[in-house]
Parts: sequence; C-alpha cells; structure tokens
Amino acid sequence: MLKIWRNRTLRGTLIQGLVLLGTVALFASFVLTARENLVSQGIATGFGFLERSTGWPINFSLIEVSDRSPYSRMLLAGFLNTIYVGLLGLAAATLTGLVVGMMRISSNLVLNILGTIFVETFRNVPLILQVIFWYALLTHLPPPRGAIDLAGVGFLSNRGLMLPAPALSAMDLAILALGLLGVLFSARRMGGTRSGLTWVLGLGALAALFTVLLLTGRAPDMPLVSIPELRGLRFVGGLTVKPEFAALLIAIMMFGGAYVAEIVRGGFLSVDRGRLEAAKALGLSSWQIMRFVHIPLAIRAMLPALTNQYIWLMKATTLGVAIGYPDYFMVVSTSINQSGQTIELLLLLMGGFLAINYVIGGIMNTINARLAIKGRS
Amino acid sequence: MIHKTLSALGAAAIALTLSTPATAAEGGPTIDMIKERGSLLCTGHNGSYLGFAEVDDDGAWSGFDIEMCKALATAILGSPDALQIIPVSWAQRFPALQSGDIDVIIKVTGWTMSRDTELGLQYSRPYFIGPTNIMTRADLGVSTPEDLEGGVFCINAGTSIERIVADYMGARDISYEALNFEKPEELRAALYAGRCDALAGFGPFLAATRFNAPNPDDFVILDAVLALEPEGIVAREGDDSFIDVINWMMSALLMAEEAGITMDNVDEIRANPPSSSIERLLGVSPGVGERLGLSDDWAYNMIKAVGNYGEIYERTVGDDSVYKLPRGANRLWKNGGLLYPLVLD
Amino acid sequence: MSDATLAPPPGDSRLAYLRRRLFSTWFDGIVTVVSGLALLWLITTVLSWALLDAVWSEENAEACKDAAGACWAVIDARGRLILFGLYPYEQHWRSALGCAIIIATMGLSCWPAMWGMWRLLGLWLAGFGSFVILLHGGVFGLEVVTSEQWGGLALTVFIFASVFVIGMPLAVVLALARRSNLPIISWMAAIFIDTVRSLPLLTILFAAAVVVPFVLPDWAQGTKLGRVIFGFALFYAAYQAEIIRAGIQSIPKGQEEAAQALGMTYRSTVLDIILPQAFRNTLPSTINQVVITFKETSIVTIIGFFEVTASASAAVGRGEWGAYYVEVYVFVALVYFIFVFGLSRYGAYLERRSRLSHV
Repeated sequence: MLKIWRNRTLRGTLIQGLVLLGTVALFASFVLTARENLVSQGIATGFGFLERSTGWPINFSLIEVSDRSPYSRMLLAGFLNTIYVGLLGLAAATLTGLVVGMMRISSNLVLNILGTIFVETFRNVPLILQVIFWYALLTHLPPPRGAIDLAGVGFLSNRGLMLPAPALSAMDLAILALGLLGVLFSARRMGGTRSGLTWVLGLGALAALFTVLLLTGRAPDMPLVSIPELRGLRFVGGLTVKPEFAALLIAIMMFGGAYVAEIVRGGFLSVDRGRLEAAKALGLSSWQIMRFVHIPLAIRAMLPALTNQYIWLMKATTLGVAIGYPDYFMVVSTSINQSGQTIELLLLLMGGFLAINYVIGGIMNTINARLAIKGRS
Repeated sequence: MIHKTLSALGAAAIALTLSTPATAAEGGPTIDMIKERGSLLCTGHNGSYLGFAEVDDDGAWSGFDIEMCKALATAILGSPDALQIIPVSWAQRFPALQSGDIDVIIKVTGWTMSRDTELGLQYSRPYFIGPTNIMTRADLGVSTPEDLEGGVFCINAGTSIERIVADYMGARDISYEALNFEKPEELRAALYAGRCDALAGFGPFLAATRFNAPNPDDFVILDAVLALEPEGIVAREGDDSFIDVINWMMSALLMAEEAGITMDNVDEIRANPPSSSIERLLGVSPGVGERLGLSDDWAYNMIKAVGNYGEIYERTVGDDSVYKLPRGANRLWKNGGLLYPLVLD
Repeated sequence: MSDATLAPPPGDSRLAYLRRRLFSTWFDGIVTVVSGLALLWLITTVLSWALLDAVWSEENAEACKDAAGACWAVIDARGRLILFGLYPYEQHWRSALGCAIIIATMGLSCWPAMWGMWRLLGLWLAGFGSFVILLHGGVFGLEVVTSEQWGGLALTVFIFASVFVIGMPLAVVLALARRSNLPIISWMAAIFIDTVRSLPLLTILFAAAVVVPFVLPDWAQGTKLGRVIFGFALFYAAYQAEIIRAGIQSIPKGQEEAAQALGMTYRSTVLDIILPQAFRNTLPSTINQVVITFKETSIVTIIGFFEVTASASAAVGRGEWGAYYVEVYVFVALVYFIFVFGLSRYGAYLERRSRLSHV
C-alpha cells in the first residue's frame, strides 16, 4: 500500500480519481435532494412555464412586450435591457476614463487635482450607493407639468429627459447601424491614404440613406421629427431617457470611468521613455509621437486590465434591480416570484451572464491578438 | 400466491391504520422543527412596509403582521419573544419559505390560484381582507383610474398587485406604465418624489403610506377597487397540522374578540369562565391544546401576550395607532364584517 | 518613473515649478484658468453646503426646511439606525465595540511586524472570535442576539471579515490546484474559477440565499447569512486565486526546482518558498481586491440584509426625513470612503515600499 502511495504517477491518478468521483457524487446528491424537495412540496418543474403568459408588464424594453407576453419573451426583453445599458455604460465609462486619465497624466497641476478628485470620489464609494444616489437625484427633478424646458424641444423632469427624435423605426435604425459598421470596416480595409476618401464617401452614403429612410419609412401625416409635448400626465412623442436607465448609466459611467482612468494612466505611464525619446530622435513631431507611438503602445498595455474592467461593469448592471430598471436579473427575480420556477430561472440567469462574458472576453482577446506587436509574444 | 400477498398487505394496512392514535397529537414536521429550534422564523421586510411590518428608529419591528407572528410564536412556544423576524423582499418570500429559511409567511400575501397550486403553498383562512386601491397625487385632479391614462404606476415588484393592475387596466383599455421596485423604501421615495403618478397596492398599506408622506394631503386614494384580496398566512404544502394550528390561532383571536376577552381581563375571565367553550378556549378544561399538538393554555398565553384580533388591529393600524384605519371588512361578522371564528367544541 | 516626472528638477525654484506646471504655454494657461475656476467653484459649493450653511442638531429639524446647506440633523436623529440597523437598542455598545475590534484587527494586520502565517492566523482568530462572541452573546451574561438582528456597519464589517477569512485559504487551495500537475485537478479548478468570475456577484448571492437550500439536506443548510457569506467567499476566492497564481508565476521556476533538488517536500516548498514570495509580489493587487470586496458587501442589501446601505435607505424611507436623502447617502458614502480610501492608500504605500526594496 505504502509503495503505491510513494509512486507519484499512481498516486496522482488515485487522487484525481477520488476528487472526480467526489465531485460527481456531490452533484448527484444535489440533484437528488433538489428533486426530493420539489416533489415533497408539490412544486412544478421543467421549462414549460416559458410559454405561459406572465400577467405583468415591465416599463422599459427594446422589443414589444406586455402582460400577455410569455415568460420567454419577457426574459429576452430583460436580457436585451442588460446588454443595452451595459454596452452604453462601457462606452460612456471608456470615454470618461480617457478624459479623466489624460487629466491625471497631464502636466497641468489643476487638471491633475481635478482628475484625482474625480477618481478618488467615484472609485471609493460602492456602486450601488451611487446608483441609488443618482436615482434619488433624478427623481427629485420637477414633475412633468413643471418640467425644465430645454429650448422648447427637450424637457427635463422626474420622468426623465425628453428629446426630439427623428421618426425612424427600429428597423431603420438597424439598417443604419449596419451601414455604419460597413463604412468602418471598409475604411479599415482601404487603410493608408485612401481611408480619408472612403470615410467621406461612406458617411455621405449613410446620410443619403438616412434621408431616404426618414422620408419614406413613416405614415404620411407624421412629422419628420417628433417633438415631445405635454399631454395629460405625460410627455408624448420624441425620445424619452427614463430616470431608472439614466441613473444606472450615470453610475456606471462615473464608477467605471474612475477605474478606466486609472487603467489609462497606468497604460500611458508604462510606455518606456526610451521609445518616446527614440521617436523624438527620428524627428517625429510631438503629435506624431502621440499618435503613432505613445497611444498604440499604451493601448496594448491597457487591454488586459480593460477586459477585466468591462466584464466587471457588464456584471454590475444587475444593480439596476435596486432602482427598478428591468434588467435581466430583475426580470428573472420577478419571474421566480410569479412562477415559482426558482432553479430553472436561476440556470437561465447564469447561462445568460456566462454567454455575455464569454463574448466580451472573446472580442477583447481578438482585439488583443490583432494589436499584438508582431514577432513578440 | 398473489391473493396471499394482497391479503397480507391488506392486513398490514389495517393494522397500521388501527395502531395510529385517533387524535393527531404530534405537531407535524414544521411544529416539531419550531419546537426543537425554540423559535419561530417569521417574515419581515427588506425595509418598512408601513402599518404591517416597519422598523422604528431603534431598529425594532412592529406592525400588524409582526403581531400575528408574535401570536403564532406564543401559541406554539408560549412566548412572543420566541420569534425571529427574517427580513425578506416580496420576491423572495416564496423561495425563502420553500427552502426553509422561514417557517411561515405572514406578509399580506394574497390567495391566488397559481400560488396555491404551482408554487406548492398552503394558505390559511384569510387573516386580513382588503381592497387593492390606487393612490394618486392630489394635484393631478384625478378621480377615477380612467383619468390616469398614460400615467406611471409604482408597484411592489413580485406581488399579486402587478397582475391585478395589468388585468384591471387591460380590461378597460387604459394604457399605463408600471414601475416595479423590490424595496418598499425605494417605492415610497419614488412616489413622494413624484416619479410616479400613482401607487397601486393593498388599501391599508396605501393609507399608511399616505399618512407617512411628508404632506398627507398631497395624496388621495381613489374609490375604485381593483380587486378584493383575501390575505392568507402561508405555509409549505403537505403539513396539514401546521395549517390547523394557524387556522385555530386566527379563530381563537376572533373568538376572544367576540367574547370580549382582552389582554387585560383574560386572567379574570379565566378564573371564572362564563361558558364552556371559553373554558375550553382558555385551557381551563383540557383538550384544546392536545388536539393541535400544543399545550392546553396556548390560547390563553397568546391573548395574554398580544390581545384579541380587535386589539391587535387597533394597536397597529387602527384607532390606537397613528394610521387610524377603519376596520371595514375586517370587523367581526356581527358588526358587519367578513371575519368569524370557527366553532370550538 | 512617474515619480521622477512629478518631482521638480534640481534647481527648480518653487515659483518656476508652479509656472511650468500651470502656465507653460498660452493654451496651458487658458486650461489652468478655466479648470481652476471650476475647482474653486466645486470647493466653495461643497464647503458651504456641507459646513457653512448646514444645520447640525436634531432640535433644529424645522430649520432644515429653510436652510440652504446640508441638514445633518437627519444623521443626529437616524444615525444609530444607520450604524446599527436592527440590533437591539440597549445592546448597541456591543455592536460598536465589535466593529472597533475588527477594525483594529485589520489595522494590526497591515503592520509588517505581524506578517507571519501563524501570527496573522492567531490575530484573526482572536479578533474575529471575540467579534462573534460579542455580537452573538449567549456567554458571559450577554443576551443572545441572532444574526438576523445584526445590522448596519457591524454587519458590513462582519460580512467583509468572514469573506476574507474563509476566502483567503480557499483562494490558496484553488490557485495551487490550478497550477497542479494533475490534469483533472487543474482543469476542474480552472473551470470553477472561470465560471465564478464571469457570473455577477448578485446572482451568486441570490443563488446562495434562495436555491442552495433546495439542493442541500436540512442539516447542511445553515443560516441564510452563513450561506450568503460562503457564496461571497467563493466569489472572492476565485478572484484572489488568479492573483495568487500570477504571484506564483512571477517566481522563477528555478527556485521550485532547486527546492526539489534539495529534497524539500511539496508542503514545505509551497509554504516556505512559494507562497510567501507570491503574496509579497502580489500585495498591491491583493489589497485592491480586498478594497473591491469591501465595497461589494453593499450588494447584500438587495437580498434583504440590513447592512449599512440598507439601513441608510430605511432611514430616509419614512416621511419626515425623506427629503434629506442626499445627507444620508453622503454620510454612508463617507463611511465607506474612510475604509476604502485608507486601504487603497495603504496599498499604494506597499507598492512604493516593494518597488524601493526591489531596486
């Protein structure tokens, strides 16, 4: 026996076998206990409930849902809400972070101080507290009837920010988005000197497409641009940015921005001074050094930390539940209560977030691989 | 061969049936668990649900639901302090019950078909009956739900109110926007700040919320009743004797009120009971406890600790409280209400 | 490197330094003036709101309605609810003392003289143990207060400390398992770590609170608080394990081989050679993770615990003080800020210290 134990390979196999066996047994006991508990309490199981109508509505969705929609559609709406606020939040946090990060490394002392105040304030307070705070602030704006008038076309009230919107359908927007992607892609493919021309041509074509869609894709009596106006209790027409959405977005923007700023700062500081001096010695202007040497090298240094930060921020959208933003978590949580399918719904919840994070991780890794300096690991 | 086996099985079954005592003296799994633990795990809120379960400045729980928790704890364990209030949100109350984090839900929980059947819950007789109402801001000048066309409704997430409002407004083709909150604090803050035009909810809760508003006159409760909701005490399915205890606890509280037994005079009445049913209720003559698996003086202890149903009502939401809610449907049958005790024989 | 650019070059007078940092070009000058005005505005606004125009005591609640500044009276009135939550009123001193003990323990473990495995272990066992005894009671004539009644800052600190105490050893195990030569073990550790890291903390806590009881037999369920803390600890461990793994990888492979060649056992190699270095190399990231964990304890408010964020909402949830939500949230934010800022400054100090010792 001792001999077997001394044999490294054999011992390794034995330990692994035992661990594997133990894990399998543990999972099996989980499943069995769960089944037993569910049966003894008379709780229905399975995914059949997904086809049943929910009986409750949510107040914000990118797709058409109502209290008559089935659970599957309601969950999809929540999932899209999470992606929507998450992606916008990432973009906003990145922009904020870039600006603040540049302030932090700028040679100007006052900008330094302002940047530091921003970072230390928003990084050191829990995100959920910030979410609740912004929400409280936004809901204490005046009511619709006393809304703050923004030059007659927009209004700010405790129902959100109302803005004029071109009369475009969701389909039109999707077509435009695809067009923009196409322009971006072809501009990159062309590269070099001709990229400028491609940009001009592509954007011109997009503008034309926009006009055509605006003129054709609507009912004849509808105005070109829908301007919000007060009717009864609410504003009708235009585009509404709801306080729940706005509060979550602002919180993610500030909190994420503070973290991204630190990543940006770290990225720029990590660039070897020797390389910058070498570029200077080659006679590049300071703008050229920034554009072709400093920024590309800094971005490479930032990417791994940025990936982690993006995944973290995407997960943080679940805090929307605290202020009534119907994100995926909130829809799942309400569904659990209304349908009682706790385990099934939790599996769907975890599956959804795993999918989101693997996609983000995959995209960032691809970018990382593309940007990696050839010939170096 | 088959015959022999069958008859043997039959004999065994009969023997088993006969050997079970006719009076179900043991308390069932939940009661055994509560007794073993020495305390009842009852629901609180993840915040203050005014009038029913609220946290005061010192961090202590009070309210109608909390008093019912105390009554149940006293009935089973003899002391209102043998109670742990577990804060749970609306959305977590059923999973928490199913998973055994709490023994019982006393959290104005409406009796609905899906909960009763699919969720594996067992309801007691209604312990509180109330309408689902709408409260709106007075300055909107609204008098019917129809006037709220296009308005924003604040609703507690994961409650039956979500569905009641959807049904009511859907049937009348009134468009509205539902804003759902997990926590009562966020809900109230949103209402007071004017984020929503209306708060839909359980009538008594709305009245308490209105009372608590910075300026109560800013809000009005509409006359329209969206639905009448009987609120039950909820336990896990398959534990009949626990539901028995809950039903008889309710019944004892109502019977005490009918007979005029209060916290203050219960000792006096126990010393010379006016009728044999009161004698049984207060455990002067034995039997009332044994049949439920409790001690014989459980009802006496309970009344001594929290009083009768009317006293609980007045103390927490009625005239002796700050809310001063009329009893309405929650009066005894003889005063024109919907509540009645069962026959204690 | 960064320090080098920030420090004035030798011979640079203070005035010249300021001139260089503020008005080196005309564009820089404009930026300085504009942002300087913004900074000035920010400082004066905050100062006059928070200090000069503020109302301080509860008796002046009426004065709050007219005051232009902060109404700190709300903290005076609701402060104990915010800090102690549902904890029995007469026993608040226990909660306060417990907090102080844990904070002192945290402070002591930041002191380099305490950095030894056994010393730290002893310190935390003593600190944590006395905290639990103090809050739970039941001995020394203390009244029993069950964990459902714990609240406010004490609960925040308790959750944080337990997550750290449970999570750290777990993280070490996970990191070693992931680096193990045994393929199945490292593969399983990797799957576990990656899965946990891509789930939101809230879903893990929710699962621990609501679903885990379904899959465990009654005797293994524990309390809701216990399960949530354990779930949280798993989450922390998954992150911390990756930090430790990075620390282990930064140690030259030769050291491990040398230890083996000297005939040291696996246990001794890991405990005496690998881990001490791995921890020292990754102290800044570890502190960073600890800071994040402290902030994330606020998430348990969503699943129904009365920690400090939840009791803050409870304090403004009732009519009379509802209008002063900003003051309450700012107060709680300050409480977090003190902890988090302190910890992160400490992390920065360690980073400088380790950089100096390496050069």
